[in-house]
Amino acid sequence: MSEEIVERFRQIIEAREFLVVGKKVARVDALDAVLGRPIYTGDFVTGKTLFVKAVRSKLPHAYIRGIDTSKSKAVKILTHRDIPGVNDAGSLIPDRPLLAVNKVRHIGEAVALVVAESMQEAEDAAEDVEIWYDPLPVVKSPREAMSPNAPRIQEDRDNVVTHFKIRKGDVEKGFRESDVVIERTYKTQFITGLPLEIEIAYSYPDRDGGITCISSMQNLYDVYNKVLKILGLPAEKLRVVQAATGGGFGPKSDETPIDVAAYACLATHHTGKPALAAFTRSEAITVQCKRHPFEITNTVGASKDGRVLAWKSTLLEDTGAYISKGHLVIGRATFHCTGPYEVPNVWADGYCVLTNNTMAGSTRGFGAPQAHFAAESIMNELADELGMSPLEIREINMLKPGRYTATSQRIEDDGLLRCYRKAVEASSFERKLVEYGEYNRLSKTVKKGIGIALLYHGNTLGPEGDDFATVLTYVDRDGTVHVQTGLTEYGTGALTSLVIVTAETLGIPTSRVRLERPDTAAIPNSGPTVASRTTVIGGRAALDAALKIRALVASVASKALGVGPEELEFRDGRILHPSRGHVTWEEAVQQCFEQGVELKAIGHYMAPPTKWDPETGQGSPYNQYTYGALVAEVSVDVETGFIRVERLTAAYDVGRAINPLGLETVFQGGSIMGLGYALTEEIIHENGYVVNPDLHSFIIPTSTDSPLEIKSIIVEVPGPVGVFGAKAMGEIPVVLPAAAIAGAVANATGTYIRELPLKPERVLKTLKIK
Amino acid sequence: MQMRFRVNGVDYSLEVEPNERLCDVLRNRLGLMSVKTGCGVGDCGLCTVLLDGKPAPSCLVLAYRASDKEITTVEALGTEKNLHPLQKAFIDVGAVQCGYCIPAALLVLKHIHDTNPAARREDVRRALRGILCRCGSYLRFEEAFELVRGK
Repeated sequence: MSEEIVERFRQIIEAREFLVVGKKVARVDALDAVLGRPIYTGDFVTGKTLFVKAVRSKLPHAYIRGIDTSKSKAVKILTHRDIPGVNDAGSLIPDRPLLAVNKVRHIGEAVALVVAESMQEAEDAAEDVEIWYDPLPVVKSPREAMSPNAPRIQEDRDNVVTHFKIRKGDVEKGFRESDVVIERTYKTQFITGLPLEIEIAYSYPDRDGGITCISSMQNLYDVYNKVLKILGLPAEKLRVVQAATGGGFGPKSDETPIDVAAYACLATHHTGKPALAAFTRSEAITVQCKRHPFEITNTVGASKDGRVLAWKSTLLEDTGAYISKGHLVIGRATFHCTGPYEVPNVWADGYCVLTNNTMAGSTRGFGAPQAHFAAESIMNELADELGMSPLEIREINMLKPGRYTATSQRIEDDGLLRCYRKAVEASSFERKLVEYGEYNRLSKTVKKGIGIALLYHGNTLGPEGDDFATVLTYVDRDGTVHVQTGLTEYGTGALTSLVIVTAETLGIPTSRVRLERPDTAAIPNSGPTVASRTTVIGGRAALDAALKIRALVASVASKALGVGPEELEFRDGRILHPSRGHVTWEEAVQQCFEQGVELKAIGHYMAPPTKWDPETGQGSPYNQYTYGALVAEVSVDVETGFIRVERLTAAYDVGRAINPLGLETVFQGGSIMGLGYALTEEIIHENGYVVNPDLHSFIIPTSTDSPLEIKSIIVEVPGPVGVFGAKAMGEIPVVLPAAAIAGAVANATGTYIRELPLKPERVLKTLKIK
Repeated sequence: MQMRFRVNGVDYSLEVEPNERLCDVLRNRLGLMSVKTGCGVGDCGLCTVLLDGKPAPSCLVLAYRASDKEITTVEALGTEKNLHPLQKAFIDVGAVQCGYCIPAALLVLKHIHDTNPAARREDVRRALRGILCRCGSYLRFEEAFELVRGK
């Protein structure tokens, strides 16, 4: 197969009108879900199995003085001494033991494992393990952790893990030249992404002496590689399969999927029996990686005519007792600290700090919601200072073609401007601004307001890792096409995009393409399923694999039709030539099998490496940006402090809409998740203890909390990297709701609330101070 | 304890423990894996089944309390070849994201559809309050109901 033909086919597909891309396609896995088929990890547990529970620390910071297991009636009790390989479960940085050795650093840290015949017996056995502690002082916040005499959380590491910098221009000069300078501090809270399927893993011994582990997760090979090391086994003795996964949102990409898989596999390793490890809800809320709380102080200077001249940000990020992805989240937050605006002079310091709170890590948005809440809020406050509208200040400063980001990356496309215009127009922003003002003059109790927020979101991993993907595509004799990758589905519909790309390339209906389960026994590492990169980067790998299959089929079909392979068109399940007729897809595949041409190809894609200077943050950290604009309309009851989001209007530049149906669903769903972050969600730590690890005091939005309308507008300005120009979308809709809603509340009440969530008591308190 | 009940149209007679939860009996004994559990204390609604036609969180129902009652789970709603109109609507409007709350949401909507096929949007929203969907498909669920309203 010549690479030339593959390349030629690529050009043909990109030049012609799309066949499937851009059409509304139902999710390939929707049927399983509506039929309630057994597809999740817990559904595979049959027959006799052992149950594994962790014995968890009841103190947030303490030395372990002793463990007494004599009263526990477990089949087996395992401590760190029973780990055959390496006692390290840190997803990227090896700072976190699977089982604590001599110290616990946060509440709920696993100290031992008990294995029992039933879940109830396992829970009882875990209760009966006694652990003696010597309590240590608890470091409750980044500010405390950064004070010179704070105890170290990790003995061999400073509490400040990362100091991330942006240095652009001369910020002091910028402030001197400014007519207005304002400084504001914004605070955000711990939440959890809260996938509704709780962490779970099921393992059983293989016939050949190895272990198979079925689990709920985002990152197949992170779990595989880590558990392999923990077990100390050779590579072929472990197989990890991702079952259908009931929500990811970040936590399923971090630490806890490694933990449950390791718990189950250790039990199987020590007993030779099938084992199930599953958290309870309160356990999951306590230990799964959370969204980082931030304290962000922004100082912004502008000229009288509204040009932002200088911007200084200090970002303090609480990553809890272990780093997880905190060192990367601070990078993304700091890169985006000015919001999507051109600022000639920027000085930013982002600090990732260890505390004795529970771990924070990846959560949908990865630092962007916090940074945008602070940036968009201060832009509104700046507009107020200058006597401008929230629209004017944005029009003057937003990133447009030829303008430069905080890292001095030149923007080439007008995606942001288009999103902005669409959202303003579709929401009738200016008319509503006037209408609500009039309404509020008459209404004493209920105040209405409208707010807007803009975003840019660096795609995909950029500085956060190797941005590659691998997809295996093969064809059965009957023409069924199988697509398999280590990238996983956990709700966003991104793997349906890979099916669409494959169907597009081969000119067959999506119903002829089957997705196979991610399985380490079948496919090589495809990189992590994070950073909204499955469609964008995975789509490129799927395209590569499908093009290779197309070239193989064309080489055979061209002989039958007596033409060159590049002259063949693939559409409607046929391989056609304008004058020589056609063969069907099935006939062509049949001929390939008869001639011994194996229809199997590995597609690969690696995004171009991105470059930036770690000392100044200057450079191009991301290959392309997604843009968006969100308008929120709220009513605020000033007597109860209760905020209701009436309507959201969202416009996102997705580059290329591979599946508009999926996009609309994700726009709406992400908006509702972001609404919870804005209004109610908060995991409260008191002196290191989590006080609300349950769903009746950690409040996520229900159907009646969601707005009556979420208008979703798709803007398409193709990006240079993603498949067919696609840009990252999975995480993006969760970034702006807090910023837009806070803006609308300020518009309604004339008061800026600078701390999330905007819960009634906080609203009332802030209004009273005013 | 001995109990009899009818599940998805089939009569069962089982020996259950007095403290055994209905959700566990349905999943572990009858293999009805569409019944999920998400909290065990009635907060999330994922374990919702229809108990004599009405939605109930099966984690809060002791199995023996379902004696002589009729239970419906999504397994009885439709088949691949013959989907319930709501199941088809869920696929068509793109209501499925992670899929974990889908069986519960379907049953709640089936109950409304069976008892009040012309239910207003507000009724649908209120009925769905008992089901948490972290993917935020609520508006998609409402739209799915629009497709079957009055039919």
